[in-house]
Amino acid sequence: MFFLALGQKPFALIFEVVKGAFGDGYSLSETLVKTAPILLCALATAMPARLGMLSVGGSGQFYAGAIGGTFVVLHFGALPGGVLLPFLLLGGAAGGAVFGVIAGWLRAQWNVNETLVTLLLNYIGALLVDFAVYGPWRDTANLGWPATPAFPDAARLPTLFGTRLHVGLLIGLALAVLLHLALTGTRWGLMLRVMKGHPKVGLWAGLHAARAALLVMALGGALAGLAGICETSGIEGRLQSGIAANYGLTGFLVAWMAKQHFLKILPYSLAMGALLSASDALQLFAGMPAASAIVLQALLFFAVFVSGRLFESKA
Amino acid sequence: MDVGTFVIGLSLSALRSATPLLYVLLGETLSERAGVVNLGVEGQMLAGALTGFAVTVLTGQPWIGCLAGAMAGLLLSSLHALLSLGLRANMFASGVAVWMLGGGLTAYFGTGFVGQKIDGFSGLKLKGLERFPVLNEAMAQITPTVLLVLFVWPLVGFWLYRARAGLTWRTVGESAETAAGLGLNPIRIRLQAILAGGALSGLGGAALSVDYTRNWIEWMTAGRGLIAVGLVIAARWNPFLALPAALLFGGTEALTLRLQALGVNASPYLLATLPYLVCLAVLIWGTRRAHGRGGMPRDLAAVFSRTE
Repeated sequence: MFFLALGQKPFALIFEVVKGAFGDGYSLSETLVKTAPILLCALATAMPARLGMLSVGGSGQFYAGAIGGTFVVLHFGALPGGVLLPFLLLGGAAGGAVFGVIAGWLRAQWNVNETLVTLLLNYIGALLVDFAVYGPWRDTANLGWPATPAFPDAARLPTLFGTRLHVGLLIGLALAVLLHLALTGTRWGLMLRVMKGHPKVGLWAGLHAARAALLVMALGGALAGLAGICETSGIEGRLQSGIAANYGLTGFLVAWMAKQHFLKILPYSLAMGALLSASDALQLFAGMPAASAIVLQALLFFAVFVSGRLFESKA
Repeated sequence: MDVGTFVIGLSLSALRSATPLLYVLLGETLSERAGVVNLGVEGQMLAGALTGFAVTVLTGQPWIGCLAGAMAGLLLSSLHALLSLGLRANMFASGVAVWMLGGGLTAYFGTGFVGQKIDGFSGLKLKGLERFPVLNEAMAQITPTVLLVLFVWPLVGFWLYRARAGLTWRTVGESAETAAGLGLNPIRIRLQAILAGGALSGLGGAALSVDYTRNWIEWMTAGRGLIAVGLVIAARWNPFLALPAALLFGGTEALTLRLQALGVNASPYLLATLPYLVCLAVLIWGTRRAHGRGGMPRDLAAVFSRTE
């Protein structure tokens, strides 16, 4: 309806979206390039949600992860790729986890609302990246272009099929499956379910709610942090500001569409990646600003609530 | 520049910078007192900022712009009411959706207004003040939206604490069940509270673009709406404490601008994190107080520590 109001033909537009997202090898790879950070950011929302916690801190953790990983590159860049890359990813995960832990700890310690804390940390994360690339980490060789020096080849994530697609997508896939198994099959997963649905039972059973809150927020932060360092190392090849784009909120939306289910997040992330990469293409061909992609996402969000209500009343 | 002038100048620019936020803070206090959290205020502020700015550009009348901004905020907040009350969606998630919609729509429709300039309100002129340049300059900070918010501020407090309708709102916020038992309609009252909060946040957005910055940039609110939600907690849901809470933010912002102007050798990006850090600090402090001394509406507490 939004697009009708703008005088676009909706069906032709949908066709364009599909063509723009999957039409040829290049557009398919661009779709998958967008899918990787969305997938990781969606997992970052879904992980705390398993304990009933609502984190909207994807983009802040994304930036914190990018900073953490970049720190590793700038200080240990001389290491060979086989050693450097694991440390790079670890640095990214640690950076994001720090931001997650701040919110988790405040919640566990003083019951400070984690949603508000993660939201505020988003702005702080973005400003810290700005600080780094305009300040101490700025490459003076880039005249007027605020960014760190380019990463050495050993610090670039391997790409797939000769496209821009990087192994970050595979990492996200593996983690989604792994987390799904951990939550459905292990004692830990059951523990989270008990504490989420019946906090009092959890208390009686001697489960440590505070420890669990810290852990899920750390894991969630680490996932978004991985998205940040993968994007930095795999796509940009240097740290610069604005890299999180809208991935944090997009991931939040995807997690809600998938009802916080780790495996269902996979197809929804792909669909959202398709939408975003097609909207990039449409921006070139039909002159539609990227803002319309955000509007479309918001409308999708509304649709999630409406459909959630419909199914609820049927059940 | 002597110390006295610096302090007076700083306090007045703190008040000016706090004004847009104070509108939002008062609006969110109203909603939360009735038991509704609305993160959508960020989007409503943006809607108010763009609408207010656009209408001011088109009509040349800043007051009509502010009115239109309030209407835009109200309109967008009705969506939050629809989702959170009508569809019983999670209030935080519904607020995020409203925020995205407000941000996306204003970024889309606002492109034509980027870079345009307006005159805004003409400053207040007091006769005889021209002889004191310092005072004269200080008075220039007291713009009409500042005066209006200083009028709205006690009004909201009076409404909540002394008016009959305000009491019904607070009852609904403490316990919708009790309110329903008294023959009140909690849904209708919460709807009213959301819309009132929406209008005030839209007005706050308009005060930002029409009076404070006098321009429009997409996403220009930069988290002010979310900061307001945090500061409501720090002000312990008391509209009278909203002014000092807003001044804390305004003071931090004004101070960082002054420090930069004085050539303090610190990264502007690090300084820019200060308002967020201050908000985070008072959020923590406020939450701890809320647990000790209360002040948080009971039904709201269920929303905040929900484990659904």
